[in-house]
Amino acid sequence: MRLTRFVLTIVVLLVATCQKQPGVQPGLRVVSLVPSVTEIAYAVGAGKTLVGNTNQCDFPEAAKSVYKVGDFMSPDLERIVALRPGLVCLTLPIHRQLLDKLNEMKIPVYASRPADIRAVFREIDTVARLLGRGASGESLVAAMRRRLDSVPAFADTPRVYIEISGTPLMTAGGGTFINELLEMAGGRNVFESSVQEYPVVDPEAVLKADPQVILLLHPDMRAPDVARRIGWGGISAVRQGRVYDQLDDDLFFRPGPRIVEGVGLLARLLHPGR
Amino acid sequence: MTHRNPVPVWVGLILLFVSAAALSVAVGPGGFAGTRLSAVMDLRLLRLALGITAGGVLAVVGASLQGLLQNPLADPFTMGVASGAALGASLTVVLGRSAGVFAPLGGFAGALVTMLVVYALARVRGRVTVTGLVLAGVIMSFLFSSLVMLVMILGRRTLGEAVYMMMGHLGAVFTGTTAWLFGAVAVLAVAGCGWLFSLSRSLDVMSSGEEAAETLGVDTQRVTKTVFVVSSLLVGMVVSFTGAISFVGLVVPHLVRMLFGPAHRRVLPGSFLAGAAILLLSDVLARNVVPGGLPLSIVTALVGVPFFIYLLRSRL
Amino acid sequence: MNAVELSGLAFGYGKRLLFDGFDLDVAAGEFLGVIGPNGAGKSTLLKLAAGLLRPGRGSVRIAGTELRAIGRAEAARTIGVVLQENPFAFDYTVSDVVMMGRNPHLGRFQSPGKQDRKVVTEALEFVDALFLRDERINAISAGERQRVVLARALAQEPQILLLDEATSHLDIAHQQMIACILVELNRQGRTIVLLSHDLNLAALYCSRILLLDKGRAAACDVPERVITGELIRSVYGVEPIVTRHPETGRPQVMLPVATGNLG
Repeated sequence: MRLTRFVLTIVVLLVATCQKQPGVQPGLRVVSLVPSVTEIAYAVGAGKTLVGNTNQCDFPEAAKSVYKVGDFMSPDLERIVALRPGLVCLTLPIHRQLLDKLNEMKIPVYASRPADIRAVFREIDTVARLLGRGASGESLVAAMRRRLDSVPAFADTPRVYIEISGTPLMTAGGGTFINELLEMAGGRNVFESSVQEYPVVDPEAVLKADPQVILLLHPDMRAPDVARRIGWGGISAVRQGRVYDQLDDDLFFRPGPRIVEGVGLLARLLHPGR
Repeated sequence: MTHRNPVPVWVGLILLFVSAAALSVAVGPGGFAGTRLSAVMDLRLLRLALGITAGGVLAVVGASLQGLLQNPLADPFTMGVASGAALGASLTVVLGRSAGVFAPLGGFAGALVTMLVVYALARVRGRVTVTGLVLAGVIMSFLFSSLVMLVMILGRRTLGEAVYMMMGHLGAVFTGTTAWLFGAVAVLAVAGCGWLFSLSRSLDVMSSGEEAAETLGVDTQRVTKTVFVVSSLLVGMVVSFTGAISFVGLVVPHLVRMLFGPAHRRVLPGSFLAGAAILLLSDVLARNVVPGGLPLSIVTALVGVPFFIYLLRSRL
Repeated sequence: MNAVELSGLAFGYGKRLLFDGFDLDVAAGEFLGVIGPNGAGKSTLLKLAAGLLRPGRGSVRIAGTELRAIGRAEAARTIGVVLQENPFAFDYTVSDVVMMGRNPHLGRFQSPGKQDRKVVTEALEFVDALFLRDERINAISAGERQRVVLARALAQEPQILLLDEATSHLDIAHQQMIACILVELNRQGRTIVLLSHDLNLAALYCSRILLLDKGRAAACDVPERVITGELIRSVYGVEPIVTRHPETGRPQVMLPVATGNLG
């Protein structure tokens, strides 16, 4: 009996140490204050490590039932600390003050700030490794790259107007994420030259740019509402009925694994039938 | 009753108004691009109408409130109505209902609610004092501004939009229905300004204090309540289309008083013309000077602040 | 008929009553002086008589009619009030300010006409402020302001004048000028009620003096019977030296020398 147990223990230990893909770091407790990082965690199979996330972390379904430490914009430090986290993922500059406090308390922090698609790939890698799922991270990135590469080069690059808000009229400028996704999908943002990230635009400027496609990224506006706007009837996109509404903006604004879906969706909208 | 003959000043003011209007229609980011000319013109004319109404109303209300409150620092937003309108409008955005007429209606509803709350707070035994209105208005203004931020956060909108709504703009997009709604607003705005104008003499007398005015035969309660209600409704209507454009209501009346003296029967109509002209000119600058445009309130502030500093120093 | 009749007046700020069953009759053409310590209720009494405050109980009658029944404009055509503080938030000219006195005579959409301008000019002349007509109200001296505000009250063409401290911040020259104006107005038949800290001014010119003490009339009689050492001491706590004015024999008070010993 004692021998069997001894042999079994050795075998278990050998198996444990020989695993090429180690299990998740035992006992790592992660709090994610960033919805995109939450998505990454689940995508690389490390969803179990999450002990807390925000009200805005709503994908995948499992993320919704994780303990909520507050709002993305203002998470509760007490709740975070009460969870005894081994790692807190946040983003700058929104969580700047929180970062300082966590540093004081010597709680390990990961600061997310991906500016473009390449940075998203790097982040997926980093987060995956931090959560002990490095290999999954690599394969996820590889899969994402393959999907992006499979987007064909299109002959035409339609002019696109992205509308973020209707009152006042707000669009996305050239330095934004969605702008990059749009370019990948073979489109050209008519306001890409804007210095501001999310500038307010003059309706006349939209008329002058004459976009061929209009993307409505705020849920209260529907395509027929745009068509009813005085003076907008002559815009190419309106004339040809290429105004798209009810789009899931998480696909375009969350720098996480689903950006490739975002690119795919854009490509299908911009180049129908291809 | 001033030495200076006001007629050439009126002529100058009217000319300023007309040139501002012409400039506003002639110059814009849309240029004169070929077949779209009439569409661009439609937009410009709507913008012109909006600018005249907003500039005129804000200046007239500012002048009236300065007279009523006997305070040269009063402006159309002292009563808190603009914050209420912003709250109403932001609620429609967050509830996903801001298309078409709902945003301006929501804004107006917010303004109406604010007016009623401020009035109720300021009422003591059926009487409303000027000081009570100011205090209640300032408190409500703070409360509703904070609520706007809260609503935007909870509704997952960017704070940038909330800030913009509080900063003011003339770039509203109109559909057929909202254009008609605005038409009604413009007519009501002119009527409201006319009503305030009819109270000119009472406002003059009230500038010596409520008690003195009572002894001179002014029904100060009626004047206070009327000016408060009419001003709140006017500001509510305008702000639900344009957001809170700052400085016009504060600075223009002083400018006009410098030209015509403090008598309200000149200051009110003068403020309407000057307010409209200055707002249109600021808008032209805001849209054209920098590609991409500047927020309107920044231009009005850049124009208004130095002037106000000059005013302040000349009084000291 | 009395110009002003206060009967059974009750009024208080907050819970405590200042006036509780107060009566006063002011005869037409009278020059009544109202004196009393701070807090005695002089200003409150004036505001009650002018209709600026509403009594909890009792009535205010002007020329026999209840003040409440007289319209605001009618009241303003009958009673002219000069308050203690006269702030002007905006820079109206002197003639603008005096023209505001014509407000009760003008209809809602009526503009001032020739008659109104004539009244304004006469009022300014009367107070010797015509030369100031185009000056800004905030650019003139305190004494001149006092006269302008008086002119505004006169422009109302009132039968009754209520003045709260017409001379407190003025130098003796201007005090004398105001006194002359008031005497002349009274001579013309107007009823004048003057609230004053200046016991001598009241004693010299008023036909009767009301001595108020914490909302009660300690005395209401001719100056000789009110300006007495005893009465003044009982109300003010200070016993003055009472003399006679060499020109008219009216009582005048002088304060005893202060010894530096507090009481």
